[in-house]
Amino acid sequence: MSDATTRRTLLILPFLALAAPNAIAADAAAEQYVERNLRLVLDTLSDKALTVEARAARFRQLMQQFADVPRVSNFVLGRYSAQLRQDPALTRDWQAAFTDYAVAVYQDQLDQFRGQQMRITGSIDRTPGRDVIVRSEITPRGSTRPLPVQWRILKSGANWKIADVSLVLDGSEIWLAQQQQRDFLAALDRNKGDIRALIAIVKQQTATMRTRIANRR
Amino acid sequence: MQVVYAALIFALSLPGVALAQESTGDPLEGMNRAVFAFNDAVDKVALEPLARGYRAVTPRPVRGGVSNVLANLRAPVTLANDILQAEPGRAGTTAGRFWINTTLGLVGVFDVARRMGLEPHSEDFGQTLGKWGLESGPYLVLPLLGPSSLRDATGRIVDAGFDPINYASFDGDDATRATRTVLTVVSGRESALEAVENVRSNSIDPYVSVRSSYLLLRQSAVQNGQTNVQDLPDFEEMPDQPESTPNEPEGSPS
Repeated sequence: MSDATTRRTLLILPFLALAAPNAIAADAAAEQYVERNLRLVLDTLSDKALTVEARAARFRQLMQQFADVPRVSNFVLGRYSAQLRQDPALTRDWQAAFTDYAVAVYQDQLDQFRGQQMRITGSIDRTPGRDVIVRSEITPRGSTRPLPVQWRILKSGANWKIADVSLVLDGSEIWLAQQQQRDFLAALDRNKGDIRALIAIVKQQTATMRTRIANRR
Repeated sequence: MQVVYAALIFALSLPGVALAQESTGDPLEGMNRAVFAFNDAVDKVALEPLARGYRAVTPRPVRGGVSNVLANLRAPVTLANDILQAEPGRAGTTAGRFWINTTLGLVGVFDVARRMGLEPHSEDFGQTLGKWGLESGPYLVLPLLGPSSLRDATGRIVDAGFDPINYASFDGDDATRATRTVLTVVSGRESALEAVENVRSNSIDPYVSVRSSYLLLRQSAVQNGQTNVQDLPDFEEMPDQPESTPNEPEGSPS
């Protein structure tokens, strides 16, 4: 170690010593699951051999395998989700509209990471073996600084499925399903709890996003 | 982050006036939406074009340097709040970063401290009040300043007192303060260009999206981003879900 490096290390040592420790890994199997499947999704988004339509179709297929869309579609309705239990047709229509919307949102969001490297940085159990938060870092295109992204995965039957994703922005985290729930609840409040009205709003928004994604290519 | 919030609110509008909604913590929604629309108009006329021009004429490293200097100048505010929150580790990090970046980093242009492992963070008096147990109170949209809450708006006033540049007397002090204000607004808006476009394009109601983002991010900021995982909401299992799908993703552990 050079003198300059030694001096520099000594200068920052008191501050490093005061820094808070990081959490430790908890579930290696869950981490591997996220790593393998996220890599598959990012590779699909950057696959130049696919047409826009083929890429969207493949992404949709992966999302339906990788994410627990029915469970999330129920969660985002909050207190209004009780309506679904009494109306199978409404449940079917809502899940179809939400699936289209979620696929478009995540394709749009993950597009900034296509072809980029990602790294799993650890995990923490909420309920061991059933509810795990996997931490990762992905560097957006055009940036040199990795963005912390967390994946909440739940056991669905015998398999893991993604239920929520959080981004860490300037040290503060935001879980996307929680944000979507707040947005949908506000829309439902304005429409007297009418889920059919929300379906119409969501379909319109999905069409706008699809146009945006197609125009970007 | 305050700058990003401000930029977001500047850039977004929603027609019409909604009813007050107690359940969302936004009893002043009608007034807030009107201010939101005003901020959006100001953004479209002045701020967004300015930010795009700034991006066009400055290379990325220069913009990064400007952003670093502005963040470094804010260190005293963060340090005061680290101390008020009884966070000696984070206070040490802030003091160390300020010292290293002001000297080795040439007045903060280069974030040398980050390369040494001292990651940046930001604190304000709104977060301090939250740490002390004060609820955020009603959501507010401030003219030209963007999303806030009764607690956070009060905190801004206290933070102004923690910032020595606001009251220090030196040659060119007024020009320095004015330059910093302009650069803070333009640099913040430039860094939020994509985020604002994203909210405009993907939100079913941009006003609500900004409000929910702001409130969730502030809640996390009060906890220094260290959410207790047990506080996360439960996802009810869907009773009609199949046990497994015919085409499983790779590597499903059982």
